[in-house]
Amino acid sequence: MRYCFCAILLLIAGCRYSANNPDPNDTVLYSAHSAKVRGLDPGDVGDTTSAIVASQMIECLYQYHYLKRPYQVVPCLAESMPAMSGDGLVYTIKIKKGVRFYDDACFKDGKGRELKAGDFVFAWKRIADIKYLSKNWWIFDNKIIGLDEFRQYSKTCKTAADVDYNTPVEGLQTPDDWTLIIKLKGRPWPQIVDLLAHLPTAPMAKEAVDYYGKDIINHPVGTGPYKLKRWHKGSYIEMVKNPTFRDEFYPSEGEPNDIKNGLLADAGKKLPLTNRLVSVLIQENPPLWFLFLQGKIDVSGIPKDNFSEAIDLRQQLTPEMKARNIKLFTFRDPSTYWFGFNMEDEVLGKNLPLRMALSCAVDRDKYIELFTNNRGEPAYGFIPPLMSSYNPDIKNIAQTSYNVQKARKLVKEAEQIYGSKLPTLTLAMPGTDIVFRQEGDFLKRCFKDAGLDVEMDYMDWPTFQNKIKTKSAQMFTLGWIGDIPDVENFLQLFYSKNISPGSNNFNYSNPEFDKIYEKASIMPDSPEREALYRKAEEIVVKDCPAVFLVHGVAFILTHDWAYNVKPHAFAYGTAKYRRVDEAKKAAYSELLRTLK
Amino acid sequence: MITYIIRRLLYTIPIIFGVLVVTFILFNIVSGDVSDQIAGKAASAETIKEIRAEYGWDKPLFLSWDSQFINHLKNSLTFQFGRSWSDRELIITKIKQGALPSLSLTVPMFIGELVISISLALIVAFLRGTIIDILSVFICVVLMSVPFLSFILFGQYFLAFKWGLFPVYFWPDLPLPQYVALPILIGIVAGLGGNLRFYRTVMLDELRNDYVRTAFAKGLGTGSVLFRHVLKNAMIPIITQVILAIPFLFLGSLLLERFFGIPGLGYLMIDAIAARDFQIINAMTFIGAILFVVFNLITDICYSIVDPRVSFE
Repeated sequence: MRYCFCAILLLIAGCRYSANNPDPNDTVLYSAHSAKVRGLDPGDVGDTTSAIVASQMIECLYQYHYLKRPYQVVPCLAESMPAMSGDGLVYTIKIKKGVRFYDDACFKDGKGRELKAGDFVFAWKRIADIKYLSKNWWIFDNKIIGLDEFRQYSKTCKTAADVDYNTPVEGLQTPDDWTLIIKLKGRPWPQIVDLLAHLPTAPMAKEAVDYYGKDIINHPVGTGPYKLKRWHKGSYIEMVKNPTFRDEFYPSEGEPNDIKNGLLADAGKKLPLTNRLVSVLIQENPPLWFLFLQGKIDVSGIPKDNFSEAIDLRQQLTPEMKARNIKLFTFRDPSTYWFGFNMEDEVLGKNLPLRMALSCAVDRDKYIELFTNNRGEPAYGFIPPLMSSYNPDIKNIAQTSYNVQKARKLVKEAEQIYGSKLPTLTLAMPGTDIVFRQEGDFLKRCFKDAGLDVEMDYMDWPTFQNKIKTKSAQMFTLGWIGDIPDVENFLQLFYSKNISPGSNNFNYSNPEFDKIYEKASIMPDSPEREALYRKAEEIVVKDCPAVFLVHGVAFILTHDWAYNVKPHAFAYGTAKYRRVDEAKKAAYSELLRTLK
Repeated sequence: MITYIIRRLLYTIPIIFGVLVVTFILFNIVSGDVSDQIAGKAASAETIKEIRAEYGWDKPLFLSWDSQFINHLKNSLTFQFGRSWSDRELIITKIKQGALPSLSLTVPMFIGELVISISLALIVAFLRGTIIDILSVFICVVLMSVPFLSFILFGQYFLAFKWGLFPVYFWPDLPLPQYVALPILIGIVAGLGGNLRFYRTVMLDELRNDYVRTAFAKGLGTGSVLFRHVLKNAMIPIITQVILAIPFLFLGSLLLERFFGIPGLGYLMIDAIAARDFQIINAMTFIGAILFVVFNLITDICYSIVDPRVSFE
């Protein structure tokens, strides 16, 4: 009957639906993204989806080792790790010879030319150029000799076309085509190596910018393992193997378990291991989930509404998923979410017991269960557990774990400090949808149990940002996802020189913290630096400028035909390591028939 | 008739101006400043200032020849909507690219819905009072009561995922008819209830007229009476319904496009709303208003063609 029902439309459709890969020798990795690719110009990439897609085509000087943990930076376009001067102020980087941009119409005769050190200088000047409006100036801000001056110069130009990129920048020198010298502004910058593995610092061919103009966002020109074939805006993006990709091989070393998990089976093989990559944009959860279960998508996250279908109470795969040979990967992501306090607020700023009461009132475990499907760990500090500087004892140091009795006592202390009954506090929420309202109701109840009146102020994101930048939010819900493994990335959020409209939304200021931050942030990676980072976190949690709530844990599902899947918290260009067994994939439809 | 058309075209000027004023107030004054959002997570004040200059948001709102409002008028009337702030792409290019996928969904959906509902309406109106008529009214009310999203979820789950009759979602290697088939089917079924009830009422009004009895008395067949005479006389409300629906075909279907990944104008619009990309919302609102005014005029002209009693005087 159901076939009759659809007969007319099937006639329109022409034939019964079939979307199998027609060429058995062609290997394709299908993935899905829930946000659209906004642009593929590395200098202006500011969102994760665009960064993931662009990173398959565009490379940086450095990259993260795919298998080793803790996360380790290794050369990519650089010949070796940078040579640093004794004072840590000059970095000399040798660039691999013979690396070519992939063939593109922007080059002479359409043939990609060899990568030169000047391509990095050009790319970084672009980010500095204020007319270009890059979202990534924060990387280089006040770091390299002459680059800030170049930015000031670009400000004086009337239009973007007037900015002369031949204007020299003292701190960026290229004595030859394969040597890049970076001179810093009197202050070491140990995070530079991590940041040189960050997509916005990728090289850019001037020919591409000249040829495509503002449309460069649609035409990535890189040196990576894949090149763009088709991009149907808002729907899908297809990349194919770059035939001129340099010789890069699958790593031969990893963690002890990697051999057992089959992650070293392809050791020494030339990358990339899959011919094509197809990324489909799916913003709604039901179709994403259906496509994954149908085997159309190889790797996927788990939509919130389908979590219980995929994962049982022991956080393991359900029998239904196991029957489909689906594999589960979980990993800690470098994130911390919190309710921040405006430390310049009259009520909160001078009242530590009140801030601690608010922190003790929140049942983090329940919050994680209700709003993240248990995809999180309770947070008591801001350093995520996957960072080497994470302090496992931070819960005891903070003394802010969930305890209603303690919260009530603290409220009484707070009232004594305030001099009367505490007024109703306001928590700004950066959204108005049902989930934010549910969160608001939950928190309101938590605070009420502790004897505190808190009202929720739901607003859209720009209004929320505006409130924070103008210091007019009393409390706010926010978080941070680390860009690099260096904890300095989190610490700067509490540095007094970064208070709003800067990144210190708490308007937190503590001279002792500032002193440690200033010292640690210029130190190279070492046990001493880690100790300082921990000390800095201790100072912050004792001052309690926020209710640290949760550190994210990511769950990833893959079908058994996708090999070499090892989630990485910082690297995006990892599709080159993945391998797809098309025969196994083809057999999946048979398995589905059996299951039915 | 020419005078009438000219007069109506002149009426459109204040309407379009009104639309431009309203969209300007909504998207440039009430909606707030999105420079922070464009600038990214760690932007400096100077970058935000430069962004405001780039998009012309640092200019006076009204009182200058180079004001934001005058530029808004100029850009809208020349269809130069500028670049989207969320991906820096030309808005007019996005609209052009989205029109075909949207129309390939909405036009067959519209035609299918129209043909089926009018045909069924004629039949059930003719069979008024019978069990078929009562049943059809009941089904119509049920169809009208079910939220549109439920049709989508039901269709996607059963017809595409469970039974594999259609693709679940837009897929790069599939021809267009395959992936729009299911959303078209869902659109037709979801819209059938309301349309069928409307056209049934229209047909019933006509069937009660004397000329129908006369036609039957003269021995004309049922098909001839219904499709040649009744349908023609019922054209005025049908035309009103049909032509005024056409502008919405160009604007796509927000939910169907999003759930089935059809890269049309509905998808563009819902994405722009989510990203607060007011430049796009403004452009789509303006285009929608123009289409609505134009098709309103066409409706009036069509009245005189199908019903000679309608005069332009």
